[in-house]
Amino acid sequence: MPKRSSLPSLLFSMAALFTASLSLAADKVNFQLDWLPGGDKSPIYVGIDQGFFAEVDIEVRINQGRGSTEAITRIATGTSDIGIADIVALLQARAADNVPVKAVYSLLSQAPHAFVVKKEAGIQSVADVKGKKVATSPFTSSNIFLPLLLEKNGLKESDITLVKTDPGALGPMLITDATDVVISWLTSVDRYRSQAKQAGTELDVIPWYDAGLEFYATSVIASERFLKERPDVAKRFLSAFHKSVEFAFANPDMAAKAVNKKVPEADIPTAITTINSMRTLVYNSVSEKDGIGTITPERLQLTWQATAKAQNLNVTDFDPESVVDRRFYMEQ
Amino acid sequence: MNKALHRYLPILALLALIPLWELICYLANVPNYILPRPSVIYDAFINVDKMRWLEHLWATVRVAVLGFLLSIFISLPLAVLMVQSSFLNRTLFPLLVIIQSTPVVAIAPLLIVILGAGEAPRLAITCLITFFPIVVSTTTGMLSTPSELIDLSRSLKGSVFRQIWQIRFPFAIPHIFSGLKVGITLAIIGAVISEFVAAEKGLGYFVQFSTSYFKIPQAFAALLFLSIISLLLFQTIRWIQAIFFAWSLPAEEQK
Amino acid sequence: MKPFVCFNKVSHQYQSNTTHKVQALTDINFHINKHEFVAVVGPSGCGKSTLLKLITGLMSPSEGSVEIFGKTMHEPRNEVGIVFQKPTLLPWLSVLDNVTFPLKHQHGKVASEAKQYAMTLLKLVGLEQFAHQRPAQLSGGMQQRVGIARALILKPEILIMDEPFSALDALSREIMGFELLRIWEEEPKTVLFITHSINEAVLLADKVLVMSPRPGTVVEELPIDLPRPRNNTTLKHEKFAYYADILRDHIFQKHAALNE
Repeated sequence: MPKRSSLPSLLFSMAALFTASLSLAADKVNFQLDWLPGGDKSPIYVGIDQGFFAEVDIEVRINQGRGSTEAITRIATGTSDIGIADIVALLQARAADNVPVKAVYSLLSQAPHAFVVKKEAGIQSVADVKGKKVATSPFTSSNIFLPLLLEKNGLKESDITLVKTDPGALGPMLITDATDVVISWLTSVDRYRSQAKQAGTELDVIPWYDAGLEFYATSVIASERFLKERPDVAKRFLSAFHKSVEFAFANPDMAAKAVNKKVPEADIPTAITTINSMRTLVYNSVSEKDGIGTITPERLQLTWQATAKAQNLNVTDFDPESVVDRRFYMEQ
Repeated sequence: MNKALHRYLPILALLALIPLWELICYLANVPNYILPRPSVIYDAFINVDKMRWLEHLWATVRVAVLGFLLSIFISLPLAVLMVQSSFLNRTLFPLLVIIQSTPVVAIAPLLIVILGAGEAPRLAITCLITFFPIVVSTTTGMLSTPSELIDLSRSLKGSVFRQIWQIRFPFAIPHIFSGLKVGITLAIIGAVISEFVAAEKGLGYFVQFSTSYFKIPQAFAALLFLSIISLLLFQTIRWIQAIFFAWSLPAEEQK
Repeated sequence: MKPFVCFNKVSHQYQSNTTHKVQALTDINFHINKHEFVAVVGPSGCGKSTLLKLITGLMSPSEGSVEIFGKTMHEPRNEVGIVFQKPTLLPWLSVLDNVTFPLKHQHGKVASEAKQYAMTLLKLVGLEQFAHQRPAQLSGGMQQRVGIARALILKPEILIMDEPFSALDALSREIMGFELLRIWEEEPKTVLFITHSINEAVLLADKVLVMSPRPGTVVEELPIDLPRPRNNTTLKHEKFAYYADILRDHIFQKHAALNE
């Protein structure tokens, strides 16, 4: 009797040991967001929720962020391994400081910057903002591209009156006609829309990518150390991440729920509208041609040229290719 | 009866403000994204799960109180050193002024890089904001000890330790408590600032989250929470003083 | 028999800054015998506080020597008790704990016998029923009595009193003077009593030292030959006014001489 019972128990403990070693073997990855959680960050949440990362033996921990620069710093210092940030911020950081962080995957192949106006104002293109009051928040990265945008559309900076103010005040200012135009990210436009709705008015949006500003924005970036020490993990991570992106845009409600499950502050309806409002930044002519995630040398060069121009840097001083590592993501 | 009225008058005055606020917002048709009405704030408050509130509340109170205790722990010995040595007083004081006048928000990202992303940078930020008034008030208090008592201590050949512990330090108690009262309100501000910079919980984080999604009434609900905590913590310091150091209160407050 | 306190050619100067020196006391010579009550009078700035620091051993003189029981004083000693101008009690301690404070400060603890002795002293100064109250609940005169009891707790042979009643109103001051005499008769001590009041000096002392201002020195040593115990009638004694006049003359003549 004792012998017979000892075999199953031995098998059981071996199985337990095996599963324990399996869960030990799961690779831990710290993922860095560039801002607070919301619909625009949903791919990573839904990927975890759907088990896409578990499938490839990766356990993800999400660190919330406070801006692209901070995200880059935290990845550079090793607090996080991989994350998302604006590739423009990374280009600037590498051009200035050569931080050990590389871009490995392009999430937004179009930049989210846009003008928001009241429908009744009759502003339909960038050229129409001539002589208008434009309000923006002091720290948004949109500001650095504004002169370039105006130049491409035949305007000078003196053609508009620019006001910098607290982001919370922008919506009310637009609604009360304290300003004619507000600079916003496409992902935030719906918040202005709901404010406008309360006040009984409607808004129009003029994306800057329709007005000649063609470049990459939010990308997946990773520390050089992570890429060097765990290349295999990086590859598996990116394939799971890509799967998560496609899933999120195919199932915005599930993606929104996944964010809400981890971060109850992010409510589901808002997250769904955000996902839908950024769809064109991911699914567009660029990604149709190159595939989502791909960073082409040509468009990267365009991105760097815009960055250098906007920041008064010498275009030839720095090779944007040094910012990218393409070995970790292959289009499936 | 009269005494009770006198005691609760401030609270009643505050409560009377609420309908007034509601009425003004209603009459002037102030939109919620500018100044939400109390009833809207209340709805926003109810809409957030109680456990969530408790979680955020606890995170902020924890950082504020721990940071505050840490700053006391640092300030009191520092004040003793500065009182005992005029050299240290002259060298440390300008340094403290520099630290105090540095905008903590500006060095916060640095603190995160140095101290990591956990609770440490939040405690450090809270502590940096809080410690200055405590050091200054403690130093002032200890230096206000009557010189006769120092002469008495010297004539008794009392040790430096006893001179501090039995004379200077108790003499500084009223001053220390003024410093602590300023400090505890700053500790809440420090905790909130630190949550703006790096946190995934806490009322400051919640305010930032709410405003970045334009949920202004929800942000206001959190702000009211913060004011209530500030008041309660401030009152706690007063209670501690009244219970354990009643002698240090002015005569009319001792009852 | 040797005098209890002896000042031998004592001079003292302060370094006010790198170049200047301030002469506080010059060539002071006097002695106090056992259980003698000596008062020091003089105008402001005659160096009384320097004298006090020298006699309590908080400072050493630049020249000359201060001797207690025939030995040169180098550091503070328990044989010397001090009563300050202001009572300077510790507001967080009870009256009793204030009296025993010197023991606590010196040894870190207070024995129960010491507490009993403190109660005896409080009885002596008439405050035993206030032992467990806080100083803030006492009047100025009562607080100063606690100060006297505190100075007596280490059983000093010599009691230094630095204008102890100057902060009191005139009436309390007079009462406290008689109280002090009563205490002194019950617990005889050698007393050095610094005061601004000529009447107080004559009423209390066996001997009055008159000091001149800057640099301070003793210009007159006047024995007061009035009968003890002294009380209200002493003030009406024929020689009281006489002694007071002599002291007044000394103080103001010196002033006049200086002004010429």
